[in-house]
Amino acid sequence: MEKITLELLKDAAHRMMFDMSESEYETLLGEFATLTKQMEAIGKIGGLDEYEPMTFPFDVTVDCLREDVPEKPLDKEEALANAGSKLDGQIKLPKVVG
Amino acid sequence: MHILDLTILEIHQALVEKRITAKELVLESLRRAKENKDNAFEMITEEEALRQLSELGEVEEDNPLWGIPFCLKDNFSTKGMETTASSNVLNGYTPLYDATVYQKLREKKAILVGKTTLDELAMGGSGTTGHKGKTYNPWDSSHTRQVGGSSCGSAVAVSSGIVPFALGSDTGDSVRKPASLAGLVGMKPSWGRISRYGLFPFAPSLDHVAYFTRSAADSAILLSVLSGRDEHDATSSFKPVEDYPSYIGKPIAGMKIAVLNDVVNTISDKVVLDKFNKSLTELEKLGAKVDRVDFSPELLGAIYAAYMVISCAEATSNDANLDGIKFGPYLGGNTYQEVMSNARTAGFSELIKRRFVIGSFSLMAENQDVLFRRAQRLRAKIVERANQVFEEYDFIFAPAAPSIAPLFSGNSDRLSDEYLIADNHLALGNFGGFPSLTLPLGFEDGMPLGVNFTGRPFEEGKLLAMAEAFESVSGLSGLSVINRKGEKL
Repeated sequence: MEKITLELLKDAAHRMMFDMSESEYETLLGEFATLTKQMEAIGKIGGLDEYEPMTFPFDVTVDCLREDVPEKPLDKEEALANAGSKLDGQIKLPKVVG
Repeated sequence: MHILDLTILEIHQALVEKRITAKELVLESLRRAKENKDNAFEMITEEEALRQLSELGEVEEDNPLWGIPFCLKDNFSTKGMETTASSNVLNGYTPLYDATVYQKLREKKAILVGKTTLDELAMGGSGTTGHKGKTYNPWDSSHTRQVGGSSCGSAVAVSSGIVPFALGSDTGDSVRKPASLAGLVGMKPSWGRISRYGLFPFAPSLDHVAYFTRSAADSAILLSVLSGRDEHDATSSFKPVEDYPSYIGKPIAGMKIAVLNDVVNTISDKVVLDKFNKSLTELEKLGAKVDRVDFSPELLGAIYAAYMVISCAEATSNDANLDGIKFGPYLGGNTYQEVMSNARTAGFSELIKRRFVIGSFSLMAENQDVLFRRAQRLRAKIVERANQVFEEYDFIFAPAAPSIAPLFSGNSDRLSDEYLIADNHLALGNFGGFPSLTLPLGFEDGMPLGVNFTGRPFEEGKLLAMAEAFESVSGLSGLSVINRKGEKL
């Protein structure tokens, strides 16, 4: 695992598309110190590599198709109801290409 | 005492016998909701409640939820009603559909009176991080103690007598811990037992719909209504829904209980230990076989860190859609990336951002093996150990929390065994998808204490039978701040 630095945490935050204040990053650094100690303790638990990573409590197998029932999709007005920036029935964002 | 202070079954009986009308019941519930000072609500749904009341018709004798007021945690989608999960990033968001559980409760003609506050996006266990501020424990009128979280508002609504049941969600212990701190029955059934369609996801491999009631019998009624396969939720189980109320009153003689020694040994509170030990004697008198079992302090002590890594990693992905574009406040920017970043920087609180960074860091290619994958492997080992216990025992049993509700000003040592094990072992139920139920044990300094039973997957019926038997031991069925009971232990 990489050594945890403020720069690394800022990179992780920016990848998540937000920023934090300097004092918030300092708090986070302290929190990571605790978590790192805990994860290091976990690393000492023997035999973990023998286990497959557990992604769900149980396998859920769906081996049938649901009935093909026609449904009415959302109309445009409904689909845009929660968008804060709209123009002519579409979501409006800053230009991506010149 | 008002009829509203009784259990669902007792209220239903009063409605059938016309000792009260649904309108009187709901108006009293709304009045209490408005007067509540514990910061329980995102929204009191008075208009919707009155509309539903007007469509109610005649009392249905075979439907115990008819006319019963209830609350939903504000991370369940409700069509046409603002739903924010107590996060500024979702201010103004109005879902276009109803969560399956809400639809089921409406079909049973239960009446929604409020959407309750929570730790932001259901991440957190203190009831302090929602965008409306701290939520207070109704058992402590000085407002110095937490009620726990993340389902803090739903816990308040039931324990302070506003409604006899309320829905929450439970990813680590978000219903079962507040249930302990607020003197309630908190039920988290097996993973997949209840559809999660319409529940805002936090960490889907751990998320469960869960709920608060004031008795095990009420918990059984709700489970029968809420359970079942839902085509809208691919992870919902095909297993048939049982007649859970029929388990209430069944004898527990011969049932085997594994007391988690490793949890009990880390608890320093003598009152908790004394009452817990007395309860073991009483359970034995009812014919249960009670053994103290060494689970593994090493594994139990690792649950919290594994939970943090897995849940934060899953959350980073699930909450990537909170971008201020499709919904939530649009704050502008020169590029679409800036638009997203502005919305997320302003919309998330500090705690949420910290959790997202933990998740993001854990998922980086260079860290994944020693953080995310290691936590997932550990989860498999912990669940394997639990299943070994379940080969011999019907239940794992322990105090649900090491003490009464903590003070807001309190500060736990996050590396102590008491914190890591006794305060965080309930996530075992989420790791393995086991049904798990918390219920009152007794009191210390006027504040409730709770215990937790966890059972084998899809054996909710047996769990409810055990819970009801435990109520006969504790004497605390039907408990609320208004309906105070004499404890037996």
